[in-house]
Amino acid sequence: MATTRLRGSTVIRRLLTGVAVVATIGVLAACSSSSGGSTDGKPSGKLQLLVSSSDATDAGFRAINAAFEKKYPDVDVVFSTVSNDNYPATKSSRLTAGNLDLFVVKGMFETPSYAKDSATDDARLAAAGGLVDLTKESFLQKFTPTLLKSQAIDGKQYSVPTGVSYYTGVFYNKKIFSDNGLKVPTTWSEFTAVVDTLKAKGITPFGMGGKDSWPAGLPMLASVASLYPNAADKQQLAKDLWTNKAKLTDPTEVKVLQQTEYVLQNSQQGAAGADYTSIPSGFAAGNFAMTVDGTWDQPTIDAAVAKKFDYGYFPFPGSDDAADNALLNGKTELQLAIPTSAKNKTAAMAWLKFFSQKKNYELFLEKSGFSSAQPDISTSTFLQSISKYTATYQPAWDQIWFANNKAGQDAVFPFNYPALKPLGSDTPEQAAQAAQKAWTAAG
Amino acid sequence: MADTFPFPKRTPVRVTFGIAMLLLGVFGFVPAVGVLVASLTDLRGLPGLPINFIGIQNYIDFFSPAKWADSANALTNTIIFAFASTVIQIVVALAIAVLLNRKLKGRNFYRAVVFMPTILGVTVTGLVWSLIFNVSGGPAASVLSLFGAHSAFFGDPHLALALVILVQVWMVLGVSVIIFLSGLQAVPEDLQEAAEIDGASAWQRFRNVTVPLLAPSITANVLLGIVNALQSYQLIYVLSGPNNRSTQVLSLLVYVQGFGGASGTTLSQSQGYAAAVSMVQFVLVGIVSIIALIILRRREAKL
Repeated sequence: MATTRLRGSTVIRRLLTGVAVVATIGVLAACSSSSGGSTDGKPSGKLQLLVSSSDATDAGFRAINAAFEKKYPDVDVVFSTVSNDNYPATKSSRLTAGNLDLFVVKGMFETPSYAKDSATDDARLAAAGGLVDLTKESFLQKFTPTLLKSQAIDGKQYSVPTGVSYYTGVFYNKKIFSDNGLKVPTTWSEFTAVVDTLKAKGITPFGMGGKDSWPAGLPMLASVASLYPNAADKQQLAKDLWTNKAKLTDPTEVKVLQQTEYVLQNSQQGAAGADYTSIPSGFAAGNFAMTVDGTWDQPTIDAAVAKKFDYGYFPFPGSDDAADNALLNGKTELQLAIPTSAKNKTAAMAWLKFFSQKKNYELFLEKSGFSSAQPDISTSTFLQSISKYTATYQPAWDQIWFANNKAGQDAVFPFNYPALKPLGSDTPEQAAQAAQKAWTAAG
Repeated sequence: MADTFPFPKRTPVRVTFGIAMLLLGVFGFVPAVGVLVASLTDLRGLPGLPINFIGIQNYIDFFSPAKWADSANALTNTIIFAFASTVIQIVVALAIAVLLNRKLKGRNFYRAVVFMPTILGVTVTGLVWSLIFNVSGGPAASVLSLFGAHSAFFGDPHLALALVILVQVWMVLGVSVIIFLSGLQAVPEDLQEAAEIDGASAWQRFRNVTVPLLAPSITANVLLGIVNALQSYQLIYVLSGPNNRSTQVLSLLVYVQGFGGASGTTLSQSQGYAAAVSMVQFVLVGIVSIIALIILRRREAKL
């Protein structure tokens, strides 16, 4: 009986199997089909664009894409936006599959000789010939030469900077400040006095999204910006740490962690478990008076505040000498590169050229909130309000420091802010000792 | 007929088993060997970069003094996570299964409710519990505030792992309950009746009749629980992020090293090192599973 039934259904099964196989092959063939692109120099076909996401920059890219498609109706921009944490994995798989024409690269800077084994992934990719050399492209000349110089690999240009962000400053609620007779602090003692006044009035000084870990690193970077005010000071510190001339347990290094802990301890209840994305709404609701954040978040904060009160941004005053706290530190934002494996280089190159044109670039800056990477570009009112803090570009500590792949997590950044209470369970001194131990062990 | 049922000829057997072996070989065995080979190289996440054979350097690094604090932390968390979630899961699942095996009104509805979290999947479960434990205005925070208390929940290094274990148990409980229920339904009624006539109390019947006859179900649940927990990282990733030391487990370390990089650092991806960590994890899963299997089988044999 069983035999008959089996044989009776065999034809149907084979038919179904056949259909499934044909369908699968069809789907796979469709997936692997070329994204097209022309050979006559006129952009056409699909343009695969991958970026790491934030609401503001996504809006900027979408606006550029729409304008680009209007100018080049034969091009279909396939825009993918992926969260920062998932970006490396997505980039890796898309590059391996060969379906990327334009994408965001990170860590495009020359590796110093003392850290030669710690080159970033994208710098390695550029050096291995994985990125298209853009050095001779005329559109690159529109960008600020010092920014281009800082992103050169072996003297060559592989990416287009989309803007500059500053992230060693503090957003503050001007209404809370004026209601309590507070002024923008310019030294550490003034800063602690502001915090004390706020606490005495029952106002939470800081908002912090500690669950994502990296936002808690912003006060650390801000403190380094004050305690090591020039790029040369930071470069010397990085070199001294790598060559073991400086120790992470030295007084100034511990002070960085103490100031970071100070912000953490004076943040809202449950800050260690709060999402970064919840901070703008908390700030807008007046739940806290300040938040240490990057200028990239200004469009989001602005939308959340919705003109209910005025807000401002001042450099984190970690030093007792106001001159050391005069400038914000920043980085070149979302650099775009074309992989050599791109199927539609023509459209990718046309997109970069289109993006670099003044009118289009201004549109991007308006949406993204970035500071301009090109000279002579009009900027937003907010960016104008902080222009005295950005008169001279100073790179932030994480743009100078090279992490040691051999070292443990305590010595990754440094400074070891994830170990501090309430994110971890250490005091600044214990965190510094753990970092120094991990650093020494890495040799 | 009985000898050859359901395949009257050898050909279909060979073909079906052949296809299965081929699939297992291509998608299971070959990648496994590939991971072993990759663990001996400095393979990185991006195509086109040179790959060098570096021997057992990745393994030396994993056990090196510089990395040992992280490796030991991940190993400890992995073992605590696997042990605690498996034990709690089995105890709770058995209790629920016994309850749902009784003649209750709306029994099927309760069974569906218990099984539902299994269908939700990791990401949805993670998001649901992230909202429940949201520090600002989430239900758990609101309940705590009634008592004047507060907590950072997944941000609290002393609490995060316990909460992740709770969510893991909640998520996988349904499958264990189903396995126990099927086991319970195979326990003959007459044995229970005989024990009852002999004067055994409810607890004695449960302890001396039900549990021994459930031994195969317990074995299946323990093994599934251990293997599942030792390999699980997605839930932890969604709930407490990729770089939280208090919930860092081996499989999450593999993901972060192989595919994540660390946000805000120049740390590069290292799939070679990730492969080495996954081999360590493989050995750990293998040893724990084999020991558990030997103990449980011996127990089954005794019965």
